[in-house]
Amino acid sequence: MLAELKKYKELIYFLVHKEVRIRYRNSLFGFFWSLLEPLGLMIIYTIVFALILKLSRGIDNYPLYILSGLIPWVFFNDTLKKSMQSLSRNASLIKKIYFPREIFPFTTLIANVVANFLPAMLLVIALALILQPGEISWFKMLFAPGIVLLQAVFTFGLSLVLSVLNVFYRDVEFISNLVLRGWMYLSPIIYPLSFVPEEYFNFYVLNPMAVIVSLYHDLFYSNLQTVPTWSIFYVIVFSIIQLFVAMLIFKRLNRRVGEVI
Amino acid sequence: MDAIVVNGVTKRFRKPYDKTLKGFFISLVKREKLYKEFVALNGVSFSVKKSEGFAIIGKNGAGKSTLFKVLSGIITQDEGEVKINGTVAPLIELSAGLSGDLTGEENIRLNCAIFGLTRKQIEEVYPDIVAFSELEEFIDTPVKFYSSGMKARLGFSIAVHIDTDIILIDEVLAVGDKDFREKCEAKMQELKQRGKTLVIVSHSLNPLKKICDRALILEKGKVVDIGDIHSMIEKYQGKKKKKKK
Repeated sequence: MLAELKKYKELIYFLVHKEVRIRYRNSLFGFFWSLLEPLGLMIIYTIVFALILKLSRGIDNYPLYILSGLIPWVFFNDTLKKSMQSLSRNASLIKKIYFPREIFPFTTLIANVVANFLPAMLLVIALALILQPGEISWFKMLFAPGIVLLQAVFTFGLSLVLSVLNVFYRDVEFISNLVLRGWMYLSPIIYPLSFVPEEYFNFYVLNPMAVIVSLYHDLFYSNLQTVPTWSIFYVIVFSIIQLFVAMLIFKRLNRRVGEVI
Repeated sequence: MDAIVVNGVTKRFRKPYDKTLKGFFISLVKREKLYKEFVALNGVSFSVKKSEGFAIIGKNGAGKSTLFKVLSGIITQDEGEVKINGTVAPLIELSAGLSGDLTGEENIRLNCAIFGLTRKQIEEVYPDIVAFSELEEFIDTPVKFYSSGMKARLGFSIAVHIDTDIILIDEVLAVGDKDFREKCEAKMQELKQRGKTLVIVSHSLNPLKKICDRALILEKGKVVDIGDIHSMIEKYQGKKKKKKK
């Protein structure tokens, strides 16, 4: 599958370019929306969860905490939602010409990394430099690309399966929206890991997104409770196996995509 | 070596296809059959030689389009095998894959990229495609504002300039004005001389005589006969007339 994707380098480049351009075409702030949106969410969440619900116990600079977990989550959430529709949205093309259809979820992922995620992560780093310059360890930043890659592999596996299932049953979209909402609250985004009751902790870190989000937090904080090392290896193995299973499922269901789409 | 070998290809469609999970579960509970089957292609076998013009003729609903889609890989057959030696560029309804929001230029690039061309190759063929389509003035206009004739010209120009071994064409000869049609026919003759294989699906018969060497008559998913283009067209027309009486 990867060799095939390489062969279509030019097509992937074209589709990513097109998607990035179309996304902000008719808006006043254009590209800045990819920064303004997380900033707006940060303000809302800080007001609700720090000022009203007082969930910020034991966290310095709560806005930074929110932002450094929320941005990876938004990346995960948006990529899944967009890839789910990526095949059905391009039905007219799929019905006419054959080429590897994995390209659609794949370009959605790449476009999201390039246009939303990376600029927003730079924003987090800038915020960290302003709020707590002493806390940042450049050594830890060396792990950042690895964490992004891990998240990308996990997200891509899931979006492959959802994109092809959504062609057969549109219900997938509705179910996923609900699941994603719950999933967000089961990841340490608005509250720290130390809030999780100890007896559930080992179950809690079985959620790959909980581990990934807290790895992002660890880039900026050194005094937070963190995930056990075994859970990191578990997520790595889980993501790789999931990707292979997803490719098999995609290949299997892909045979009938051309007729039902 | 033959360019295309099709051996006993059968394709069944599931007719009432319910697009919701609810429908799926209701049928499960009621223990009714989940779908009815419809056989679109029934044991179709034929082969196309290299640098040959091959026509597939038949009435609406005979399975022409299904066969076409199987050949281009859009749908997969249930039984039998399709062997294709070389690269294929399918061209359906002439506006194949033209996305409305993109300009003519972007569409050319998109379509070339879909066929796996590298950027260098695209730069090379781009001027030829524009020149052949005679759309220089409108190349920066989004395709959604194109007339159907213009779309047809652009689609045809792209398909014939991409350097593939086999070109699949569906109902190409019905669109476009007389001048452009003649240009297309000349181009197709030229492609054949250069060793390309053409497979044309159509029910407008006369233009086929010039381009194709052999033909296949398809009826209700079955091959009726394969042979020389002139005798096949005669046979096909003879049949039609009988039915009218």
